[in-house]
Amino acid sequence: MAEALVIRNLSRRFGGLRAVQDVSFAVNEGETLALIGPNGAGKTTSFNLITGFYRPDAGSVLAFGREIVGLRAHEICAHGLARTFQVARPFGNMTVLANVMTGAFLRDKRLDAAREQAREAIDFVGLSVKEHTSARDLTTIDQRRLELARALATQPRLLLLDEVMAGLNPAEIDQAVALVGKLSQRGLTIVIVEHVMRAIMAVARHIVVLDHGQKIAEGNPKEVVANQDVIRAYLGTGYAQPASAGERQC
Amino acid sequence: MLTTIAQAVVNGLLIGGIYALVSIGVTLIFGVVKIVNFAQGEFVMIGMYISFFLAANFGIDPLLSLVISMPVLFVIGVLLQHFLLRRVLALGDMPQIFLTFAMSLLLVNVALLLFTANYRTVQTPYSETAIHFGTLFVPMAKLIAFAVAMVLSGLLWVFLHATDLGKAMRAAAQNRDVAMLMGINPDRVFCVAVGVALALAGAAGSLLMPFYPAYPLVGQVFVLMAFVAVVLGTLGNVTGALIASLMMGVAESLGIQFVGADSGLIVVFAMLLLTLALRPNGLFGGWSR
Amino acid sequence: MQGFISRGGFWVGVLTAVALALPLLVSSAFAIDIFIRILLFAFIGVAWNLMGGYAKQLSLGHAAYFGLGAYTSTILLIRYGVSPWIGMLAGGVVAMLASLPIGALCFRLRGPYFAIATIATAQVLMLLFLKFRDFAWGAEGTTMPNLGDAPLMMQFEGKAPYYYVVLALLAIGLAITYRIERSWMGYYLVAVGEDEDAAEAIGVDALRIKRNIYLISAFLTALAGTFYVQYIYFIDPNTAFSFNVSVEAALVSIVGGIGTLWGPLVGTVLLEATSALLQSWLGGGHGGVQLTVYSLILIGVILCRPSGLIGILTDAYDHVVHAGAARAKEVPLDG
Repeated sequence: MAEALVIRNLSRRFGGLRAVQDVSFAVNEGETLALIGPNGAGKTTSFNLITGFYRPDAGSVLAFGREIVGLRAHEICAHGLARTFQVARPFGNMTVLANVMTGAFLRDKRLDAAREQAREAIDFVGLSVKEHTSARDLTTIDQRRLELARALATQPRLLLLDEVMAGLNPAEIDQAVALVGKLSQRGLTIVIVEHVMRAIMAVARHIVVLDHGQKIAEGNPKEVVANQDVIRAYLGTGYAQPASAGERQC
Repeated sequence: MLTTIAQAVVNGLLIGGIYALVSIGVTLIFGVVKIVNFAQGEFVMIGMYISFFLAANFGIDPLLSLVISMPVLFVIGVLLQHFLLRRVLALGDMPQIFLTFAMSLLLVNVALLLFTANYRTVQTPYSETAIHFGTLFVPMAKLIAFAVAMVLSGLLWVFLHATDLGKAMRAAAQNRDVAMLMGINPDRVFCVAVGVALALAGAAGSLLMPFYPAYPLVGQVFVLMAFVAVVLGTLGNVTGALIASLMMGVAESLGIQFVGADSGLIVVFAMLLLTLALRPNGLFGGWSR
Repeated sequence: MQGFISRGGFWVGVLTAVALALPLLVSSAFAIDIFIRILLFAFIGVAWNLMGGYAKQLSLGHAAYFGLGAYTSTILLIRYGVSPWIGMLAGGVVAMLASLPIGALCFRLRGPYFAIATIATAQVLMLLFLKFRDFAWGAEGTTMPNLGDAPLMMQFEGKAPYYYVVLALLAIGLAITYRIERSWMGYYLVAVGEDEDAAEAIGVDALRIKRNIYLISAFLTALAGTFYVQYIYFIDPNTAFSFNVSVEAALVSIVGGIGTLWGPLVGTVLLEATSALLQSWLGGGHGGVQLTVYSLILIGVILCRPSGLIGILTDAYDHVVHAGAARAKEVPLDG
């Protein structure tokens, strides 16, 4: 199977802080990879490095065979990588439809084509009713939906989701998981940063664990959950013993 | 040749001290309140007019009038923050820029109406005297201005690092939300920050009177210098603003000496361009993308 | 009839008819002069608004392009006998070329610092032109040669022809704004103005958009510069690169309605009308009154209605015409 994303030796520091240190992993096309780790582990920074918002100090990022380090963020998006932000950043003065159309224009500059594409994405996330609502009047969760729709409108091949489930109640988590599942069925490669274990277990077969900027574990869910380093990273040294895979809100 | 350069450097440093007072004020307001005060120069102007009228009507020396101009401007600053700036804090760039810009326009034109465009000057016993260090010629008024400016800057540094209120200010500058969680009242901190910044501007005005004329537009020159110094010294960085101001004073002075008498602005612009091109985050800072 | 009146196009038609008929109905040269100024500054405001209103790149140095346009056409006219119509276009091109390096440098700065850099740009140009004695008449400036009635050389007897020229310019500016507003570019501009990083994340080349809108904005502003000096038959650096031009360009849009099609016109009418009133009231000897009043208006608008006064008008329009029912919002707010 072809590799959608290959990260090699990715590193970035901010002054004295080594936010990301020598991280390497690969994601196959169509796969869903979960990137997890305690707070401050470097997950969002990794996203920013991959999508061109920060330049890495070292390392390479191959997306669908092309080196994308050094490209500007919009070029990377055009190449097929779309991302959502941890805190949603809608264009407040535009309606939901206008927001998503702005994303759709990447592939087709014509107004009606973009509108159609946008409506599809809005429908997928379940915001059709609020098409003409001003983005700043949306609830936080709807703003996240908008964020996702806007990213989808760019017709990505690889989607990077940054903590889309934070603060959702169990029913909403199920909805979100279902959405991610549908996207995966469409063939989209997905890299998801999450803290909600239940969601991760449900969507990802492949997990990478970061701690203090370094990759400390990689594998399938069962392996990762049993990994001593992972347990130590989340719960401290006192807990480094074999533990069962249970519900753990980190 | 060396003497000419040395003299130019001295001249530059001396005026740089004044630039520092203005630019520290701008960077302080920006760092803490996150607003760029376009009207900072106008508060220098107000300081100058206060000192002028005190001198003209009561014979008070401008240096002594510091005691009046600084507190007056502090109060103005507190009122400004509390009644005006606070209302636009949540609104975003555009309203903030144009509010302080409109204030600047308002102050200049009201001054024009009240005082006319005539230059007002004050003569003091030391306006014309100078000290000679070897071949160097150091005008007394400018030397005093520089010394006081440095003292004030030092006091500010102490305030920011050694007092609770000062530390609270720095905390609020770094992270407003967390500072609030720590029990720091942002409005109070902001009022003090703006008050202090304007007091420094007022001080600059009073210090300038012995050797510089007061007129409605006088603030515009200084504010332009100040803004470039703030960018050069990294936004929000008080020490940076100080150092950058001194550098700019020297650069301007060297420019005037070796390029031409009216090349001050060109030098400023050139420095701005260089900074933007080479180090957009200023000399001291920030993580580049 | 209700449906007919409620269509925006109807009102635009009415407005156009009134605008075209105005010089025929009003004979006072003083009044026509005011109208010309209103149209001119509305045009400059429209040019500014493309950049400052939609893309939120708040330039306070548009006088740079105003002046470049003015000087290009004047130099071509006086030194080479070229018609100002051509000179106007040439001035636009010069302005566009200038906007490239200026933009490249200034766009690195965000928000207020961008504004300051633009102010500095205009100031530097003024200083340069004050120095260029041989090339561009230095500080004294020059008057236009009096060619009498010479339409081909942009000189006319009477004020009415000037009125129509500037009306045409405004119409062009509004048409361009209208077209951009309703295209992908309009969406991209607003997106960049709202959140440049988020825009980049969905494929918007923010730098390119800013550069392109700056080109258009500079071009149009330069046309205004040529018109103005042809109208007043005089040019000098202080007039051509006047900070007041930069200020008014921004002011009319902010007061009227930043980022809207009609905002600049609304703002100009209000401000120029106020200015004319003040002038007739006080006689004009008082140097700072006009700007004092302008700045008070600006402060008032910012504190009470930052989106501009046009909101009041559209609400009134809704109330009267649609009996208060919400109407579809203007694009690109709405898809």
